[in-house]
Amino acid sequence: MRKAVVILLAKQFFKKTFSNKGLLILLFIFLSVLTYVTVISWVAFEKKHQVVEHHQDESRKSWDNNPDKHPHRMAHFGSFVFRAQHPLSIFDSGIESYTGNAIFLEAHKQHTANFSEASLSTGLVRFGDLNITMLLQLILPLIIFFLGYASITSEKENGTLKIMHIQGAKVKEILLGKSLGLFLVSALFFIPAFISLWSIVFLEEKDAINSSVAIRCLLITTSYVLFYIILSFITVIVSGKSQNSNKALLSLLSVWLLFFIITPKMAQVVGNLMYANLSKIEFKAAIEDEISKQGDSHNPNDPYFNDLRDSILKANNVTNVKDLPINYSGFVMSKGEEQSAKIYNKQHNKLINTYRKQNSITEGLVLLNPYLAIKNLSMSFSGTDFDTYVNFLSQTEDYRYKQSQYMNDLQMKFISNKATSSEGKINVVDKSYWKSAPKFNYKYISIHKTIKNQLLAICTLIIWFLLSFLFINKFSNRFKII
Amino acid sequence: MYPLLIKQFFRSKTVLLAFGILMVLGFLSIGTGKQFLNQKQEVIAKTEVLQEKHIKKQTNLHKDDLGLLMYYLKFSFINPVNSLAGISIGQSDLNSHIQNVTILNLEGQKYDTDLVNPMKLSVGNLDISFLIIFLFPLIIIALNFNVLSEEEENGTWKLITIQGKSTFKFLLQKIAIRLIFVAIILGLLFFLAKIILGIPFNKPFLQIIIISYLYILFWFSICFFIILFKKSSNTNAIVLLSTWLVLVVILPVLVNNYITNKYPVEEAFTMTIKQRDEYHKKWDTDKRETLDKFYAHYPQFSHYKLQEEGFSWLWYYAMQQMGDDESKQERDAMYSKIEKRESLSKKIAQFFPPLQVQLSMNAIANTSLTDQVAFLNATTKFHEELRLQFYPKIFDKKAANSIDWKQYKPVFYKSKTTFNLYDNILYMSCIILLLIGFGVLKNLKHFT
Repeated sequence: MRKAVVILLAKQFFKKTFSNKGLLILLFIFLSVLTYVTVISWVAFEKKHQVVEHHQDESRKSWDNNPDKHPHRMAHFGSFVFRAQHPLSIFDSGIESYTGNAIFLEAHKQHTANFSEASLSTGLVRFGDLNITMLLQLILPLIIFFLGYASITSEKENGTLKIMHIQGAKVKEILLGKSLGLFLVSALFFIPAFISLWSIVFLEEKDAINSSVAIRCLLITTSYVLFYIILSFITVIVSGKSQNSNKALLSLLSVWLLFFIITPKMAQVVGNLMYANLSKIEFKAAIEDEISKQGDSHNPNDPYFNDLRDSILKANNVTNVKDLPINYSGFVMSKGEEQSAKIYNKQHNKLINTYRKQNSITEGLVLLNPYLAIKNLSMSFSGTDFDTYVNFLSQTEDYRYKQSQYMNDLQMKFISNKATSSEGKINVVDKSYWKSAPKFNYKYISIHKTIKNQLLAICTLIIWFLLSFLFINKFSNRFKII
Repeated sequence: MYPLLIKQFFRSKTVLLAFGILMVLGFLSIGTGKQFLNQKQEVIAKTEVLQEKHIKKQTNLHKDDLGLLMYYLKFSFINPVNSLAGISIGQSDLNSHIQNVTILNLEGQKYDTDLVNPMKLSVGNLDISFLIIFLFPLIIIALNFNVLSEEEENGTWKLITIQGKSTFKFLLQKIAIRLIFVAIILGLLFFLAKIILGIPFNKPFLQIIIISYLYILFWFSICFFIILFKKSSNTNAIVLLSTWLVLVVILPVLVNNYITNKYPVEEAFTMTIKQRDEYHKKWDTDKRETLDKFYAHYPQFSHYKLQEEGFSWLWYYAMQQMGDDESKQERDAMYSKIEKRESLSKKIAQFFPPLQVQLSMNAIANTSLTDQVAFLNATTKFHEELRLQFYPKIFDKKAANSIDWKQYKPVFYKSKTTFNLYDNILYMSCIILLLIGFGVLKNLKHFT
């Protein structure tokens, strides 16, 4: 194989594609949409960021402004947690629009994350999300197919393939040259997208998570480049294998439909069919059931909590809970919280595991479908994937638990055993304790862990790259010249 | 002429491929709809059982204190999904179709989402509406893009002109065969859907069918318009595919993006914070003040006097009520934003058939955002009725077992459709007529 020939063929393909005015129009449209998308996503991100921060502050302010009161009242006052978005969500919004954005956290009750963007949107949201990745993952591959479907067939149809062959160009060189040319043309489309990606890194410097954003971007860039190389190879191979341009175009279109639209949807439908999850009402009933089995701290005659009472009375050498050095109902509450949180976590983990099983069909198909691979990689590195969401939920639950127990501790320490009610200005704890409760601070999954989670997708891209390269190299002799 | 043309048509591999793709995907999409309906119906059946169990358990636990019992007791309000939702799932998989509420502060309970895998939501559904809006046009393009150019490229067009018959009629015949073929497949899918999804043959179903056929016609007229420019097959393919890409993929997404950014619903957050604050503040403020507000809302309860010392359920439920009452402004603001989103999407969609078809189908199947909002409003009414039933009983300190709990079965919501077929197909029909008219007028001179 001679490099010079490959490069010459690539150059020729590049020039020829550019002699077509259609391409310039296409490029212009693509770049205009890209610019619009980048600007609008950025503005929307900044705005959402402000809204979230504003409401987070407001909710904290109203928490801090509570007067002296009974700690259990504060436990139910609870707090709101709003999802702040990763700056890279400007690039890839992943499942962000479909996950709830606000959770209310209070004692012994677990709420769902509500108010997802999609749930407040009109039916048009089902056509998909507009972001840079939509252009990169769905539209650009289609453009690559459009640009490259005739790369070999047109040479065949014009009879120029024969001439090239007679002049000494090997089929391998022709195929590689065309692929390279196609890749270079597609670079005109994706490089501007990467510029907008990288500008996020440099302009969103103020965030603390930023040190890792650059590495994330680097990984995203590499994966996409690999993805487009694979696509260029596939386009040229299909074009080479087809009898005429029409057939090549139809085959590539079918590939696009099958790989990019139908399998991803079907995989989720099948996953959902095979592993159905509980509905909310069943989920809550299951928890209620288990709690009443384990013991209900709100039930005065509950055997579990009666045993607990007897043991603590014995340990403190008293006969009545009123003589205990700690507030007894605070103690019961804290034990109850421990129990119910365990049960909730168990059920919640079960639910998440069912979701994971549903997703496992898609995960399994990653190996067969490089589109799924790039989709998962892009989402994960942008901090907008399923793992990030689950991680967020578990951090909020952790925070909720600690907050409730903090209030129970305060009650045990400061509330008298003779207190009968939690209302008004008696039996209260000083308001300074509210201020000293920690704030919620979400931590993103580390890159290291993300890479580990997405190992299969990374391998897929590499394997596909090697296979398609090998295919062009090894089997090019079987290509029919005439 | 027709038998020969039909023979020729079916000899092409593209046709068989198209037929295969449409039938396979048709089955899959009906299956998706069936699965969706089944899941929803199963949950409804379970809800009825669970409610009975729940009431029995709670009434046993809190026999003597009705106020406390009502703190725990949940009542289900169900939005039974229409069988047409199996055709157009729309927004109904995003939003909860069962509300399970206590008589406490409602705003904190109403928006709880159902448990659905967000990954599933993000890839969207492959229901029949998707098949019709997204894939049928592609098949139509694949069948039509070279109807005329192929004849010219193969040199057969000259033969046809020589034969002396109207070439224009010949072209129309060729397209008509394709139109009939696609129409039959669509009809077949609707027939299968009707049987498998158990859809009654009524006006809404007919409306969906009419809109779908009109949409198919729209794509045929675009193809007709483009092929009459007599460009090469390749050019036709590229132009038609680009049209498809813009109309079906890019434009809807752009419009949706524009609308969500134009009307961000941040009031949702403000409202939830407000309703919590307004309720909780009342624990520390003057009881009389809370009660006065409660009496102002419900004058009929003003004879229940406030007990100044100690805890009373009257005061407790009045506090809860204030969470709802005093966050009303924010709630209204949120709903008016949602309304604006809906009306703007409808306005824009009129001119773009793919958007129009999606929104219309959702509206007919009661799976649109408007329907969800209507359900939420009905939930508020349901909740209010519960409150009015139980408030006096609680305040009178009635025993919990004095109430006949058996009658508290889940309540079903009845949805109303305000869909107007004429308004929704007016522009689409005009576009179709314009495309065909222009195509014919501009090119008539080239044909004999």
